[in-house]
Amino acid sequence: MQEMRTINVTVAISGALLVLVGNPAAHGDRAALLGPSQSSSTGHEQRPFGDPSVADLDEVIQEYCVRCHNNRRLRGNLSLEDFSVGMAAEFAPTSEKMIMKLRVGMMPPPGVLRPSADTLLTLVETLEQTVDAAGQTRRTPGSRVFQRLNRPEYERSILDLLGLEIDPAQYLPSDTKSANFDNIADVQMLSPTLMAAYLNAASEIASLAVGDPTAGTKETTYRIPRLSSQRDRVEGAPYGSRAGVSVTHNFPADGTYDFRMTFHYSPEGFLFGRNEPGEQVEVSVNGERVALMPIDRFWSEGDPGGKGLILETGPIPVRAGPQRISAVFVPTERGPVDDLFSAHGHSIPETQIGIGYGINTPPHMRDLVIKGPGMVTGVSETPIRRRIFTCRPTQADETRPCAEEIVSRLATRAYRRPLSDVELDGLMDFYEAGAGEAGFEMGIRSALEATLASPHFVFRFEEIPEDAVAGEVYRISDSDLASRLSFFLWGAPPDDELRAVANDGNLSDTEVLLTQARRMLADPRAEALGTRFAAQWLRLSDLKELDPDVVLFPDYALQLADAMQRETELFFYGLVRDDRPILELITTDYTYLNEVLAEHYGITGVYGEEFRRVQYPTDRRRGILGHGSVLAQTSLANRTSPVNRGKWVSEVILGAPPPPPPPDVPSLDQTNVAEQGRLLTTRERLEMHRENPSCNSCHRLIDPIGLALDNFDVTGRWRIRENGTTVDVSSVMYNGTPLASPADLREALMAMPIPILRNFTVNLMAYALGRRVEYYDMPQVRTIVADAEVEEYRVSAFVLGVIESDAFRMRQVPATLESTESDIGLGLERQEMIR
Amino acid sequence: MKLITGMHLPRRTFLRGVGAAVALPLLDSMIPAGRLGAQTSKALDKPRLIAIENSHGAAGSNAWGASENLWAPAAVGRDFDLAPSALLPLEPYRDKLAIVSNTDVRMAEAFAPKEIGADHFRSSAVFLTQAHPRQTEGSAVFVGTSMDQLFAQRFGQETPIPSMQLCIENVDQAGGCGYGYACVYTDTISWASPDEPLPMIRDPRAAFDQLFGAGGTAEERARRRRSHTSILDWVTGEVSRLMATLPSEDQARVDRYLENVRELERRLQGIEAQNSSGAARELPGAPAGVPDSYTEHMHLMFDLQTLAFESDVTRVFSLKMSRDVSGRVFPETGVPTGYHSQSHATGETGVRDFYEINKYHVGLLPYLLDRLSDSMEGDASLLDKTMILYGSPMGDGNLHNHRRVPFIVLGGGNGQLNGGLHVKAPDGTPMANVMLALLHQLGLDDLDSFGDSTGAFSITSPKVLP
Repeated sequence: MQEMRTINVTVAISGALLVLVGNPAAHGDRAALLGPSQSSSTGHEQRPFGDPSVADLDEVIQEYCVRCHNNRRLRGNLSLEDFSVGMAAEFAPTSEKMIMKLRVGMMPPPGVLRPSADTLLTLVETLEQTVDAAGQTRRTPGSRVFQRLNRPEYERSILDLLGLEIDPAQYLPSDTKSANFDNIADVQMLSPTLMAAYLNAASEIASLAVGDPTAGTKETTYRIPRLSSQRDRVEGAPYGSRAGVSVTHNFPADGTYDFRMTFHYSPEGFLFGRNEPGEQVEVSVNGERVALMPIDRFWSEGDPGGKGLILETGPIPVRAGPQRISAVFVPTERGPVDDLFSAHGHSIPETQIGIGYGINTPPHMRDLVIKGPGMVTGVSETPIRRRIFTCRPTQADETRPCAEEIVSRLATRAYRRPLSDVELDGLMDFYEAGAGEAGFEMGIRSALEATLASPHFVFRFEEIPEDAVAGEVYRISDSDLASRLSFFLWGAPPDDELRAVANDGNLSDTEVLLTQARRMLADPRAEALGTRFAAQWLRLSDLKELDPDVVLFPDYALQLADAMQRETELFFYGLVRDDRPILELITTDYTYLNEVLAEHYGITGVYGEEFRRVQYPTDRRRGILGHGSVLAQTSLANRTSPVNRGKWVSEVILGAPPPPPPPDVPSLDQTNVAEQGRLLTTRERLEMHRENPSCNSCHRLIDPIGLALDNFDVTGRWRIRENGTTVDVSSVMYNGTPLASPADLREALMAMPIPILRNFTVNLMAYALGRRVEYYDMPQVRTIVADAEVEEYRVSAFVLGVIESDAFRMRQVPATLESTESDIGLGLERQEMIR
Repeated sequence: MKLITGMHLPRRTFLRGVGAAVALPLLDSMIPAGRLGAQTSKALDKPRLIAIENSHGAAGSNAWGASENLWAPAAVGRDFDLAPSALLPLEPYRDKLAIVSNTDVRMAEAFAPKEIGADHFRSSAVFLTQAHPRQTEGSAVFVGTSMDQLFAQRFGQETPIPSMQLCIENVDQAGGCGYGYACVYTDTISWASPDEPLPMIRDPRAAFDQLFGAGGTAEERARRRRSHTSILDWVTGEVSRLMATLPSEDQARVDRYLENVRELERRLQGIEAQNSSGAARELPGAPAGVPDSYTEHMHLMFDLQTLAFESDVTRVFSLKMSRDVSGRVFPETGVPTGYHSQSHATGETGVRDFYEINKYHVGLLPYLLDRLSDSMEGDASLLDKTMILYGSPMGDGNLHNHRRVPFIVLGGGNGQLNGGLHVKAPDGTPMANVMLALLHQLGLDDLDSFGDSTGAFSITSPKVLP
């Protein structure tokens, strides 16, 4: 009885809808359902709401959705029992969840009765139009608390202000992420630990920048990570050298410094690599040799006085400021390697092999310690000091004006806005105190220390108009807008030009704003969109979590992982710089490689450490899904993970995260590794795992996507066999598309551009705004995507679309504190479950 | 300085003496003899607290693992056999070990359908609070005040730094956290108040600088303290001028900032007071940053804790050993699978491998116990004065359950703890009951309840013995 009715209604509805749609040709097939046509361009908006079709659509929801999403079963924590399409705007948070799942075609799930494609398309478009129409009248730019400088922003701000390179991880605790990004204001919690960290950083940096003739002896250690290959020269080191360290070290004063190096050793305490005779270590300052020391092959940890495995230069004079220090091996002259073993990329898989005869493994450095200064002779000029001391008082009455000039210029840049007289006076008090203690330079150093510790530097306050009332929407000030713009595009504070435009009060003018934005996009500093935005969106930092099995993947070294990350950053920045359509992310037939990575991918003819654009010789790799960074970060130490790869594509590219695994599911690693004496492939083990029906209901959404990429091994190298068995990548995607290769997967993704484009926009907006994108932002997101169509979805259309949006340029005065809390944002999608 | 021999750990990365100085506020001779354990002398005896969390439960909390006694020994009372247990490495410190088995951390369970499956993104916040975190991705986080902070807030004001939070694994996971929970719930175990998470420091160097001051020499440290004092003083004025120009939500945030400023001022004054009253002692050089090796990292953190206790800079530490869902492989165990994967192991071999990881983790503790017992303060060792909690809010890592979780208490707890004891709580006893009793023993004897406690469950009480 119940079933009969269902079928009848389905037929009736699809008939009715075909009439309503008006242009069946455009929607007659699946491709059109998922195609790029925007709701605004289909002519649907002419259909008045309240049309009988809304009731029909409600019936579709009751028939197809409510069977799982009802008050009792609450699948995905969602009940649609009381939902009505006509009320879609009132139910906006729910509507947005439905829109997302419908657009990626994940609902209704595979294996259950689905309405026709046309019906689903009409449903999702009607939902979008209803919500968007209401959004026109009830729009809000949203609100967030002020941001603080996170580690990378702090690092860039110091570099821009002083020309000083620092490692922020030395001072600041790690940043809390939310919705992919490290700049989301409301999770940037404050604490005494954090404040103490900013204070310590301010003191240290002011002292390094100005120089410190009274500096006490200190030790700085540069550690060489164990996963780092010590086979080849390191970047920045003299040519012809091998391994070691090459760093820019900031010396606080002219004086003598000791350089001490320690070396890896075997479990028995002998020098690792002791079979390689005649190795020497060279220490150089800015490429000039200051010490050359032989390595004693017979060193042992147990040598008297703890003198083994250590090289010390003794005091060496070095001038203040940043200097390039290299401590490297001078390799012995060797004939052609005639060895049964080729040198692996991962050159220290374990320490025992370094002492076994028959294996030519050279010694490996563990760390370099720079200790000093001793015997300080003064502080000579450095590029940083020249930048700070733009004037020098030659007589007493010039002192204060010169100090004021310096302090005011530095603070204006540091605060990213003009300085008030009161503020300058406050900083000059620090100058006077310091100058009274130890003269002019100490005065400047004290004022700089205060500037860097000031909340105006560390926080990005955004002022509110004086007469603003609760709930009111207002434009943020020009200087606040300038900061938003430059931290978005450059990950850095505004430059002189941008600050000048803001100071003149012109930046709120849309044309001026867009002109500045275009200028900044064309500037090389926009590379931050690759290194900051894309790196976080695409989760590149997960690469460092991978520590592949050294026996299976002996060539995986840190340098390779770094090259993979760099490849993706450069690739994304290339799309920005050349203003390419964003969907090329999936399809490009080129990438950016250096020798290490090209060799890894099996591409010949690429030499040297510089990255360059390289055409793929075959169609195995295309776009981001061929990048080692993506393939390796989703792998485990000893096998690929189609589940992780499928999850990555769903979450990161489509914006449709799969549900969490329920507890009490045996992990894949618990399935048999071998059967009848044969090692099983990852796929075979996965299939055993999926025999459990409760697992399969989710995994059928995830795994096929990942399986299509299973020709790429743990490290992203192409393979056709796994454990001796041919890799079988064929599967069927959740929407019925057969997949038999990475190319098929790319095609399947390109057939549904809308969710990809919207998800990209959501991420770009969250990063630009420093807050999670909420349901009430989605009409704006859809507008940006729709408007980008005429621009062929070029990157600039999205970037400028975000910049032009109200959310970027305006802010709403919160009605009460509580109202800023949104538990119903899109963020909650992460925990929605499809079963 | 302790030298490690025979283990081939990279000895040079450990804290080494370079001759800087820090004040020692209380000379050993100033402590009256025989006061240890006396109720009246708590403040003088300076109890210390270290709370250590491990995220993925234990093999012994699995039904089969429990039957094999992979965590809790078979016998209760004093005559227990550690041989099959992951606690075996603690055998030499048996008389400082109290095992409390069969308690539950039910506040980590899902309360609503939308919380199901998200245990990993919630349970770390529960360990020391025994409260149920509010599900939010934003700033409206809410759980409870953690027990280390209750103790620090009561007694921590006597030291320059009331408490310090440390972690071993990187917390900034790509993509953020999941299932509707803000990352702070996974990032930290210490909560100054239900809405005030405290960040944990991973870099031993940064922890050293916060504890003892940055700067190579005593003069440099002193100069920095002076400039920090005047900067903090000035900042208060700067911010109050700014207040009027900010929206109310921002003002609330600035208020919290000002509280932090005042707290830092108090700490600086505390250090000055210590310096003017005490004698200087040698301070080893600062550690060199985050080491590659897990063992080495843990040892450095233990060195720092011992050093901080010795110089009485702080008396409270919390330490997070791992991050939920961490795939870290521990080569020392010979188990090739990542930590999280292995916690989902079923079948005897898999659970055994997980047990190996548990045993490796527990095996790191004797280093701390050695250091503390070697350090005398008055007529007692620091180990006698310290209470060390070690446990997990997770029980069976595969089921994601929070019942019968691993939990042990080490050290003399300032004379309050009897070691050499295995206490099995009645079924359904909240871990909060044990923590409440421990808080009472630490001097917070006026506390009526803690987290979801239903009463105090004392692990020294003879009536629970068979």
